[in-house]
This record gives sequence, C-alpha cells and structure tokens, in this order.
Amino acid sequence: MPSDPIFQFSNVSLKIDAVSILKGLNFEVHKGEFLSVLGASGAGKSSLLRMFNALSSPTEGSIKFRGMNIEDDMEVLRKNVGILFQNPAVFSGSVKDNLLLAGRWDQNIAQTLDHELIRSLKQVGLNKIELQNKARDLSGGEQQRLALARTLLNHPQVLLLDEPTSNLDPKLSSSIMDLVNNLRENLSLTVVAVSHDHVLMRRYANRVIILSHGELIGEGSFESLDRDQVFEQAGLLDTEAADET
Amino acid sequence: MKPDFYVLTWNDVLVSLFFIAFSIFLIKKWKLGLEKTLLIGTLRTFVQLTLMGYVLTWFFDQQHWAFMLSLLIAMIFIASWEGTRRQKNNIPHFFAAMLISLLGAAILILGTILLFILDVEPWYSPYAAIPIGGMIIGNGLNSTSLTANRFMGELKHREGEIETLLALGATPKLAVYDAMKASIHAALIPNINGMMTVGLVQLPGVMTGQILAGIDPLIAVRYQIMIMYMWFTTATLANMIMLAIVYRQFFTNKMQLRRELLRNEA
Repeated sequence: MPSDPIFQFSNVSLKIDAVSILKGLNFEVHKGEFLSVLGASGAGKSSLLRMFNALSSPTEGSIKFRGMNIEDDMEVLRKNVGILFQNPAVFSGSVKDNLLLAGRWDQNIAQTLDHELIRSLKQVGLNKIELQNKARDLSGGEQQRLALARTLLNHPQVLLLDEPTSNLDPKLSSSIMDLVNNLRENLSLTVVAVSHDHVLMRRYANRVIILSHGELIGEGSFESLDRDQVFEQAGLLDTEAADET
Repeated sequence: MKPDFYVLTWNDVLVSLFFIAFSIFLIKKWKLGLEKTLLIGTLRTFVQLTLMGYVLTWFFDQQHWAFMLSLLIAMIFIASWEGTRRQKNNIPHFFAAMLISLLGAAILILGTILLFILDVEPWYSPYAAIPIGGMIIGNGLNSTSLTANRFMGELKHREGEIETLLALGATPKLAVYDAMKASIHAALIPNINGMMTVGLVQLPGVMTGQILAGIDPLIAVRYQIMIMYMWFTTATLANMIMLAIVYRQFFTNKMQLRRELLRNEA
C-alpha cells in the first residue's frame, strides 16, 4: 500500500441545526488506494464524502489535502478531486455540451477536440454514443458513465463516488465498478467510494472505514473487520438481508 | 369634433363602481370566493389613489429638489419593503438587494430622462420626476419580485446541477449562471412581448390617459415609445443588480452552496 497520505482528517465533526451528523473522525486516505466508506442509511457517509472536495466544511476539526488545508486553494482542490453523485446531473443539450461543461471556465477543456472527446467516451465504455446525441435521452447507466467521462476530463487525482450504483441493477453496478477500478489502475487514481453495499465493495476496495451514527467504528481490511464483526455492528448485514427480501 | 378634455367627476367615478358590482356578480356566480378580497382591493384603490392625488397636488406645489428626492426615496423604500414582504422565500438581505437595485435603476434611468430626453427645467420639477419615477420604481418592483421568485425556484430545481458545476471547479457565479439566465428571461419576455404587440393589440395606459386628457395622439405616442424603452431597461437593469447581490447570499466564501437556504420557507 502506498504510504503518502493524500487526505488527512483530524477530529472532524459536523453539526447541522444542533444535530451531530459526524463525530470526531480521524483517518487518512493514501495515494492510489481504493477506500470504501460503508455505513447504513443515515450514518453520515454522504455528508463525509462532500467534505473531500469541500462542498461542505466540518464544524470542528481539520482536513488536509496534499498536506495543505483543504480550503486553501479551492480551484486546485476541485480540479483535482472529482465527484460522481448518486444521481448525476446531466444537463440539457448534447453529449458534447455535457462533456465540455468545464470549458466554460477552463480554456484547456474548451479546446478539447472532438476525437479526444470520443476517446473519453470510449474510456468509460460509451462506444456507441455520438457526441451529438441528446444527453438526457441516455439510459441511467449511460448518464452515469457520461458524468464519469466529464469528471475525468478534468484529469483528477482523486475520484469520489457517492453510492454510484444504487440506482442500477446488479449487472450494471458491477460493470461500472469494474470500469472505475480499471481507471484507477490505468490513471493512478485514488478512489473513495461511499456505499451501503459491502458485498459489492469488498470486490474492489483495498481498505474500508465504517460509519455508524456519525462515528467511525471500524477501519482496515475487510478481513480484519469481518473478524471483529463490525459489519454487523454497523447494521450492514441487516441491510443486506433486507435487500435480499 | 375633437373634445379638449374629458373631465371625470367624483360622480363619474362612483358610476364606475358598476364594474366592481358586475365583477362581484360574476365571482358569486362561479363561487370563486374572491368577493372580500376584491372589496378590500376596491376600497384600497380608491383610498390610496385619492390620498396620492392630494399628496401629489401638495408636492407639485413645493418647487424644491429636496421634496422631490425625499418622495422618490420614500417610494423606493416602500417598494423594497413591499417586494421583501411579497417574497415567499427566505433570501438573506433581500431588502437591501431591492433597495440598491431600485435606487440604481431610478438614478440612471430617471436621470437620463429628466436631463437628456425631456430636458426638464428645473430638473427636479415634480410634474415629470414623480410620475416617471413612479413608473420606474413600480415596474422595477414587479419585475424584480418575479425574477427573485423564479430564481429561488431555479436554485431548488437545479441544486444538483449547481453542485456538479462547483465540484468541477466553477465559481459560484458560473454555477448559477443558467439559473440567473432563466430567471431574467422569464421576467423580460413579457416586456419584449409587450413591445411586439403595443399599438396592435392594446393601447397602453399612459397613452390612453394622455389622449383622453386632450393631448395630440402623436405626442402621446412619443411618450409611450420612450416609456416602453424605459420599462425594458428598468427591468433589465434592476434585475441584474438584484441578482448580482442575491446570488452571492447562497454561497459561502469557500464556494459552497448554502443548501439550507433552499429548504427554508419564509
């Protein structure tokens, strides 16, 4: 496992309207790893993920990105840390318009040539999609891939995934996660994926942190956490059972 | 024969109450439940405009710039307060945004009209400044209220899009650009449509009033043309100033969308 920490969370807490969402979290994310943040619904996973590219700030504690305070240079942070939301925002207009969104403020992206855009679509498995297709006519899985291609055009170092497969069937979920894992290896990405699906995540993640009611109750490899029965404690086995029924 | 003047007496106004009586009859027939509101509206129209008539008569007798300016500023304050009261959403500092946008529009547009178009002497003559200022402020109020409501709707509807743009590296201004554009479009299109059909479908109020008061239609038309142009610019300018202030309220200085404001209803 590479040892350089790319993110360092120190005593991070979040309160919204006096309700504690996250409580004193301490952990690190290392370059090149695939970290999974697991927890039952309402555990605070998505709130935590939003902090990785400063879409929200902790009410206490500090977060460092590459050794600097995460909010010191928002422009660099947002360019380097891409996020794929649970429901990706696909804008009206063509596939090309969607890919070139960041071209509104980034000249390098604005000048991307069509053949490079097509290559970026192929990179995420959208081989049969034309740049002129209407983006909102794409299926849910295709829209997810389009959003991924759009994020990758920023050449991020880190990719954040917020329940990326929760709206997709198991086959599509696996193919998206296979894709992300391949991209991680090929592009040397660091991936942080939030999920409630520990069965899916254990196929990809090197390391896992487990949240329960805003607290970090486990951190390490799946094997070590299995031994300590942390998944059961976090209510993740109940979710699995409920999903199966 | 062309009449010099159609003088409306208070008795004539009383007769015009027939319209209200007829409306109440129609409202009752369809059981719309608007009788009470309409009666209050009828009474307020009468009282407010009559009082305004007396106030204007008094003001018009005071040939002093301070009187004119204080009345205009009072009108802007009232309009800003009314605009804030009408606002269904919780927009921080909305009163200040309304005040600055209406003040900006009034200074620029009224100033241009008084000094360079009508060449009013002295520039503070209330016969020109008050009615035209009133139109600018009233039109600015209506337009900015509509735009602010629409902008809130757009922010709520586009929350995911805005956060996606922020996450990709957009500044707050770029992230809400589409929302601002849609809101201003919605506010300006009725103005543009009005310019397209004016004179064909309806004769505007100011022109009708002037013609009824015995003014040459060609002069009335010129006034109306100026007023149409003025209305559009007022709406554009006031909306842009208002949105430039308002959109900033929805972001922290760390380029984060203040999502809690999108959940709060005033």
